[in-house]
Amino acid sequence: MSRFRRALKNKQLVIGMIIAIVIVVLGIVGPAVFGDYSKQDLLRGHKPVGTPGDFFGTDALGRSLAARATYGIRISLFVAISVTGLAMVVGTIIGLIAGYVKGLVDGVISLLIDFIWGFPLILVAVLAAASIGSGLLPVILAVGLVNTVAIARVVRGEVLGISEKDFVVAAKAGGYSTMRILTKHVAPNVIPVALVLSSYYVAVAIIAEAALSFVGLGAQAPLPSLGQMVSEGRNYMRLNHWESTIPGVIIFAMVLSVSLIGDGLRDLLDPRLRTALERARAK
Amino acid sequence: MTDEPLLDIRDLSIGLRGDGVGYDIVRNVSMSLYPKEILAIVGESGCGKSLTALSVLALHASPPLHITSGSIMYDGRDLTKVSASQMRAVRGAEIAMVFQDPMSALDPMFTAGTLLTSAVQAHHKVRYDVAKSRALEALADAGIEDPRRRFGEYPFQLSGGVSQRVMIALALINDPKVIIADEPTTALDVTVQAQILDRLKELRAERGMSIILITHNLGVVASVADRMVVMYTGEVVESGMVEEVLATPQHPYTKGLLGAVPRLNSDAATLVPIMGRVPQPNELPPGCSLPIVAAESSMSAGPIARILRYMVTP
Amino acid sequence: MRSLLKTVVLTFLLLLASSLAVFAAIRLSGGDVTAARLPASATAADRQLFRHQMGLDQPILKQYATYLGKLFKGDLGNSLTNSAKISTLAVEKIKNSLILGATSMLLVFGIGIPLGMIAALKRNSWFDTGITSASVAGMAVPNFWLALIAIYFFSTRLGWLPSAGQGGIKYLVLPAFVLSAEGIALTVRMTRSAMLDNLNQDFVRTLRAAGLSERRIYFKHVLRNSLLPIISLAGLRVGQIVGYALVVETIFGWPGVGQSLVNAVLRRDYPVVQFFSLLLVLVVTLGNLAASIGYTLANPKLRK
Ligand SMILES: Nc1ncnc2c1ncn2[C@@H]1O[C@H](COP(=O)(O)OP(=O)(O)O)[C@@H](O)[C@H]1O
Ligand SMILES: [Mg+2]
Repeated sequence: MSRFRRALKNKQLVIGMIIAIVIVVLGIVGPAVFGDYSKQDLLRGHKPVGTPGDFFGTDALGRSLAARATYGIRISLFVAISVTGLAMVVGTIIGLIAGYVKGLVDGVISLLIDFIWGFPLILVAVLAAASIGSGLLPVILAVGLVNTVAIARVVRGEVLGISEKDFVVAAKAGGYSTMRILTKHVAPNVIPVALVLSSYYVAVAIIAEAALSFVGLGAQAPLPSLGQMVSEGRNYMRLNHWESTIPGVIIFAMVLSVSLIGDGLRDLLDPRLRTALERARAK
Repeated sequence: MTDEPLLDIRDLSIGLRGDGVGYDIVRNVSMSLYPKEILAIVGESGCGKSLTALSVLALHASPPLHITSGSIMYDGRDLTKVSASQMRAVRGAEIAMVFQDPMSALDPMFTAGTLLTSAVQAHHKVRYDVAKSRALEALADAGIEDPRRRFGEYPFQLSGGVSQRVMIALALINDPKVIIADEPTTALDVTVQAQILDRLKELRAERGMSIILITHNLGVVASVADRMVVMYTGEVVESGMVEEVLATPQHPYTKGLLGAVPRLNSDAATLVPIMGRVPQPNELPPGCSLPIVAAESSMSAGPIARILRYMVTP
Repeated sequence: MRSLLKTVVLTFLLLLASSLAVFAAIRLSGGDVTAARLPASATAADRQLFRHQMGLDQPILKQYATYLGKLFKGDLGNSLTNSAKISTLAVEKIKNSLILGATSMLLVFGIGIPLGMIAALKRNSWFDTGITSASVAGMAVPNFWLALIAIYFFSTRLGWLPSAGQGGIKYLVLPAFVLSAEGIALTVRMTRSAMLDNLNQDFVRTLRAAGLSERRIYFKHVLRNSLLPIISLAGLRVGQIVGYALVVETIFGWPGVGQSLVNAVLRRDYPVVQFFSLLLVLVVTLGNLAASIGYTLANPKLRK
């Protein structure tokens, strides 16, 4: 309860959560409320927000901006959250193993991790698209790979620190199995870090998906994606700026909210962990 | 010993000021340092010894700490009132300091030599080679065996003892009149401690410097200092010549301290613990003077084992 | 120094392995190439012949060796879209990207470090609050959107700067600032927190006690300590610039490697994709290597 209270006092966390809830609700109910995102009506194109009958505006083909943007939220959240979530699980496991087992296994894993960590997500996604063709799949693969590596890297570092600590040494001396030590003693200490980091990496993933879709390598028409909407709308900035500002502001708000949540969670964390985070965040 | 003190701290109070809090950590502290003497400040950890010492050179963290009243007279000036640039001229050149933890007190990115030559050049417009030869001299004066080698070494290459000697060289290099050494040996092992203290004593004799030595260790006080000041919860509770204070302690706290020092001819079983715990200044009732936790007190023992630990380990 | 040599050797091995992986991944999608390049009426035999002519039917390692061999002779093959020699095309693109990338790196550190220092020096002032909040926002604005906003205001509305293309400095301003925005924000943040952290270190008190001036302590000692983490992460900044260049060059019509790669992927012009992909892998790897060498040299503990 007291932790909950403390969380409520944390402004960044509260603001971030409010924005996040609004966006998630939009993503869930939006497509149902605003109707078919692909329904065209060429006679009703380029309508600004507030137009009677097309209150939330339309794009060049007369498709509802609201329906498309809310569906875009879905895609964005799916790619960013589910894939980063998976990356968190896999990355934590890899980091735990590498940090705890040490030796050659760790040497090889950490060499690979450090190398891949040096690559920016967008480049990896473009390389993936170059190999398997454009679409959401290369974005998903890239987000999965890069975020897994990033999380494994920090978890490994934390585990290396923790496994020197008395309580782990004592547990080892007490003859507990490696599995038990890892799950009962080490993991609870590194999972908070992995969680906070994941929120930052969700932000990176949102940006990467949007950027790839923006240049045409991500989500393919007719699937609507926020990045792609911004790209289509950019030619009509003067005529009807809403076509790019609506998706643009949504991307901004999504990224801002996960960053705020990340910052807020970080402040609730043990101060010792913050330095590790600050470094990992430099990406 | 002349009658004029070299450094005179009068009724000094230092307060903590922040959102919602405001109380004095150091209250009405007075002490005088005479030429060529070694003055010891003793007292329980957290009683304000370091803070008092730091405030002499305006090195206390400000904010949140501020000097709220009193004066620190040196050479006809009140150091609490001088400008920042005047204070800078005093630091290192008139009054120098040696800190407790030598390993973290040295900048890891620069060699001992760079540190020492910058200190020379901070006060004197001299060429680098002049500064360098002074640095080598100071290293030798601080008792370092191979000054040329140490000159080019980085802090991570130095042991704790050598680091502390580098700190002492840094304190000596501009030939100050006063050195304030804040627990200079607490972080070091026993043999090194003795060497460092001997070196300080010799320096006093060779150069006629005055030294303020902050310590936990009454054994050190007895063997090194001329006069002593006992502090307790931010106040000076007793002061005088070392022999007198140790022979006939007046204040219950001092008696307690002495009672807790193991003597060679007694066994550990007769150690008298100081009962209770040191109250924090903000826990004192307003207007109330110092609450005294005496050896006679029958209160149950708190975390006072800490004091015992300091007393028992030299 | 020894560990540095090890790093260099390992990095080159990893570079070889990763470039092979990228090469293989792109080659193995060669099936698509026949679909994209040959008319739908082409027979299986035609496709087979095409693959044979392109060398796509050989073992991948052999293909890679052949490719590298040609690469070192300066023969990069021809673009499938306009049959131009890739080597001629590449020189111009690389030059353009270098101009944009180097300018952006300069902006990242040249603006980020001083702003971070001032923010730390005047912490909790309006300047600090402003800079800190701007950097949080700076990291949240996706840079393609920032590009559009910048184009809208500075080109469309105000007409001060061109929105796309290439030619004097004027054309460089918008893409370089957009490309470096996030890096600047991150560098400000890191510099600020490192400076504040180091200002609280014991060694600062020692330097003050020795009578050094505040300016000297701040600009020599605290700064030097604070640069270490920034140097160690400079490789990531290189990667970030390379990654974002793919998007930013495309938006601003900056004829560099990033734009060419994206276009080539969209058109399935795989010889071009192949070369530019390997080039960017190389650049990012060397950027990271340079940063770890720089870190080793800047850190007395590792240098000795
Ligand atoms: N920067 C600071 N902010 C707040 N309180 C401080 C600060 N520095 C010291 N104090 C407080 O001042 C008191 C005296 O500290 P100090 O002079 O270091 O004690 P001593 O040196 O006698 O062990 C302690 O209670 C400590 O908590
Ligand atoms: Mg102290």
